[in-house]
Amino acid sequence: MENKELLKQRVEELAARVSGEVKESFGVFILKVKAPYIIETLTAAKSFTDVPCDFLHDLGGLDLGDHFEVVYQLSSLRGPQLLRVKAIVDRENPVIDSVTRIWQGANFLEREAYDMFGIIFKGHPNLKRIYLWDDFEGYPLRKDYVTEPIEVRNIVRTRIEGE
Amino acid sequence: MDVDLEKQLREEETLMEKNVVLTTIDKVLNWGRGYSFWPATFGLACCAIEMMATSAGRYDISRFGWEAFRASPRQADVMIVAGTCTRKMAPLLRRIYDQMPEPKWVVAMGSCASAGGPFVDSYSMMAGVDKIVPVDVYVPGCPPRPESLIFAMLRLQYKVSHPAKVRLMRHGK
Repeated sequence: MENKELLKQRVEELAARVSGEVKESFGVFILKVKAPYIIETLTAAKSFTDVPCDFLHDLGGLDLGDHFEVVYQLSSLRGPQLLRVKAIVDRENPVIDSVTRIWQGANFLEREAYDMFGIIFKGHPNLKRIYLWDDFEGYPLRKDYVTEPIEVRNIVRTRIEGE
Repeated sequence: MDVDLEKQLREEETLMEKNVVLTTIDKVLNWGRGYSFWPATFGLACCAIEMMATSAGRYDISRFGWEAFRASPRQADVMIVAGTCTRKMAPLLRRIYDQMPEPKWVVAMGSCASAGGPFVDSYSMMAGVDKIVPVDVYVPGCPPRPESLIFAMLRLQYKVSHPAKVRLMRHGK
């Protein structure tokens, strides 16, 4: 488990730098940081020496009641290392920097998180709804979202061209 | 036996010997329609897998004369709505239905298409396609087995070939 010890060392160094905290869960390190540090954290994680976490596996939102979290699952094609970075986002003002500069593939994933949780990714090239239609109101995966009654949902909407 | 009926039967028998069958044009057309459905594939979710299985070798829907699954609505006359219809999909489903030539029928396959299924309380769910298109046959199941779909198509065939009987069953007059 040399790889894991190296990774642990790198993650702890990084956590001290960005004032985050490290936990381990089922063999995966979880690094929790505040939203403003996210670019710095992920840039550093991408270029860890010997254990680079340079593949953005998944990106998703979380609603924890009093705050949101954006979860970045990192892995690599060059080793077994796994890292999970969680960014704490304010609920009243859910703004976080976009990571599309680091990984182009984050484009659609961030659009999905915006679609479901209303988290705004600053610097995203095309931040609009991806699954739901453009005139949908509200963000359905937030805990305080109330689904419309079935009578409202059964009204057939007209399709917008180019949607 | 009724004298008139006997007379009629005897006339028909003589005609049969001359290879002549008398019927009404509607009956012939409905008979033909019932044995040659061209379903439009509208596979939306997991029910589509069962629909494909129905049309494939083991269950072989072509035994009944319904083998020509069409990708274009303009060549089809039965729309099998197989799967979950979301609210984003609903206007498109209606448009596909409008593009099909008359006469046309709709089979709602599975509990999602019939009434919303497990997603009935979801924010994006169109609970039951009967809100947008007139449905002839509902197939329960999640997803229904191929036998269920074949049975539903047989019921639809019955409905098409015997419109008067179906009206009697439904409305009692």
